Amino acid sequence: MDYDFKVRTSVERTKVEDLFEYEGRKIGRGTYGHVYKAKRKETFATSDINKLISADQKEYALKQIEGTGLSMSACREIALLRELKHPNVINLQRVFLSHTDRKVWLLFDYAEHDLWHIIKFHRAAKANKKAVYTPKAMVKSLLYQILDGIHYLHSNWILHRDLKPANILVMGEGIERGRVKIADMGFARLFNSPLKPLADLDPVVVTFWYRAPELLLGARHYTKAIDIWAIGCIFAELLTSEPIFHCRQEDIKTSNPYHHDQLDRIFNVMGFPHDKDWEDIKKMPEHPTLLKDFKRNNYQTCSLMKYMDRYKIKADTKAFHLLSKLLMMDPTKRFTSEAAMADPYFQEDPLPTSDVFAGCPIPYPKREFLSDEEQDDKSDSSKQQQQQQQQQQQHASQSGSSNHSHGHHPQHPVQQNNMQGGMHPNYSNHPGHPQQQSHPQQNNSFNQRF
Amino acid sequence: MAGNFWQSSHCQQWLLDPSDLVRERQVDFAVVTEEDYQKLFIFFSNFIQVLGEHLKLKQQVIATATVYFKRFYARNSLKCIDPLLLAPTCILLASKVEEFGVISNNRLITTCQSVVKSKFSYAYPQEFPYRANHILECEFYLLENMDCCLVVYQPYRPLVQFVQDIGQEDLLGLSWKIVNDSLRTDISLLYPPYQIALAAMQMACVVLQKDGKNWFAEIAVDTDKIQEITRQILALYDLYKTYDEKKEIQGLLAKMPKPKSQPSRPPSSAQSQDGIQGTNDQSMGVNN
Repeated sequence: MDYDFKVRTSVERTKVEDLFEYEGRKIGRGTYGHVYKAKRKETFATSDINKLISADQKEYALKQIEGTGLSMSACREIALLRELKHPNVINLQRVFLSHTDRKVWLLFDYAEHDLWHIIKFHRAAKANKKAVYTPKAMVKSLLYQILDGIHYLHSNWILHRDLKPANILVMGEGIERGRVKIADMGFARLFNSPLKPLADLDPVVVTFWYRAPELLLGARHYTKAIDIWAIGCIFAELLTSEPIFHCRQEDIKTSNPYHHDQLDRIFNVMGFPHDKDWEDIKKMPEHPTLLKDFKRNNYQTCSLMKYMDRYKIKADTKAFHLLSKLLMMDPTKRFTSEAAMADPYFQEDPLPTSDVFAGCPIPYPKREFLSDEEQDDKSDSSKQQQQQQQQQQQHASQSGSSNHSHGHHPQHPVQQNNMQGGMHPNYSNHPGHPQQQSHPQQNNSFNQRF
Repeated sequence: MAGNFWQSSHCQQWLLDPSDLVRERQVDFAVVTEEDYQKLFIFFSNFIQVLGEHLKLKQQVIATATVYFKRFYARNSLKCIDPLLLAPTCILLASKVEEFGVISNNRLITTCQSVVKSKFSYAYPQEFPYRANHILECEFYLLENMDCCLVVYQPYRPLVQFVQDIGQEDLLGLSWKIVNDSLRTDISLLYPPYQIALAAMQMACVVLQKDGKNWFAEIAVDTDKIQEITRQILALYDLYKTYDEKKEIQGLLAKMPKPKSQPSRPPSSAQSQDGIQGTNDQSMGVNN
């Protein structure tokens, strides 16, 4: 490589740290890397040092990709985001390549909210018996925009592969107020072993809650239907403020897609699928294991209707009808994004709005900065072990009183580590065991606020 | 991604004007002739093709790597990065983008070494000189110079559709090969992939004496562009008639503008720097 070429390009290259202020402004971290809330630095025009160019006050999300160099997932992310343009898909503004430390930085518009924080806020309010005032159509507007964004991705043959509340961003005050932005496409991450095992990167938990049953039964390929299942899960969670397929998250280091507890949870809500409902279930790689591990009789009283009824979502509502189409066990019978967007639910009053907050005040707090010490604490391994021991003890006593068959797994330590916040899909303040959780005492969910 | 070509970075940023190419290449044309330049690019396109085949990559990935290679030199002189280094870098980046599994650094370097030795020793009698760290460094420059535009649309997909549409499936083999050959020209920098596919198919019709006149008459396409593409591919075949790469390439590579790993400065000071480096190495050896 030519020396003069290197010198010339290094002079011409704008460095992220010269252009943006982001020190001490970290708002998230996970397998993908670190995200900062950044703003432009005040810069002097080179021609006239006295003329201060006032920095634009706009906020940006600056993501430093985990690891160094160009991993396949970084490549896919840059390649695809460079081409994508849709109001409900996160917009890549710029890429910074830092040649000296081989770090890759991506610059996005800043989104103040995300569904993980929004749902968490509602759950906390519910626990404290406080009302949260939100527009009647908010859930509908959120769902419609999620579907719109996914429809765009799907019509470009891009699968998200990792849809969950934390990846659904919502813009705060500004010209795009209340607009959904789908972020953090799974790209290649789930296919290829990342540089570090996913479990090593605390405090992120790889969640199975949004995984479609066919994936849990060993389906080898991601499909559009898998994204739709996840949207169904998110819709249910917006309606009830509880993750519909909540399941303890141990065993996350396993590479085996088969996940007994997660399937058990799905059947506990949905009932065990009849052969006529899902004919191809017999062809699933893990079907023999399924027959060995599960008895249909144990789930005879379970149905989505019953589950949602506990949250006062009646079976004759359009919301329930659409939900049941999104959460079809048989992937071939699941709605497409197109069919879902044409559903009568969206034509019924109250109609969805492009600002999901419909001009009302936004009740949710702004993102907080994560302090670095906090993180150092978290990654302290001895502390982690301590917590793990505590949790195991806790868990042992819990499973003693529980009639669940799967109480013998040690709980993963990561769950507790998450408590200090961060934008991770983890419900550490969750009211205990899924069984207890499935009997909600009160129903301050979004759609019944008014 | 099989998205919308018309809204792609390929369509909006990377369909260049022939005059752009000529302008950007003036620096190199001062050192080698236009024809020599073309011959060098034929050579390196072949190198990328053979390297890709040895790594068992699909033609789609190889074609993308070749377009990356051309995009870089459409904006930079051959002097900036040794094409022998950029070629495997393009292969590495294209394989990641097209998601055909990561090629390990080790495998890439070993394949480069063995391919240079077994297939291209007539051009490079010495060993392949680069290591993984060179390729990784180069990858950042490649990405940067392409303005992060990584999704490239290739003529293969439209070609398959057109051949099905015209209902003469036996055209596919030959037209596919013509598309492959077009990678040895500037065509992929100048024309949208569907036009390249149409030109290749029309050429195949002529060679195989198939009648496609009605089909071509019915599609609304700029026939001038198709003719331009055809002319450039035919010019390539003409060149092949008289050109003996095995004889000429060493001379061409010797003439080619080359990177200097040292800053341009008077020879004496360059020497003294070498001297300092030498002692540094020695002292490190002692410390270890």
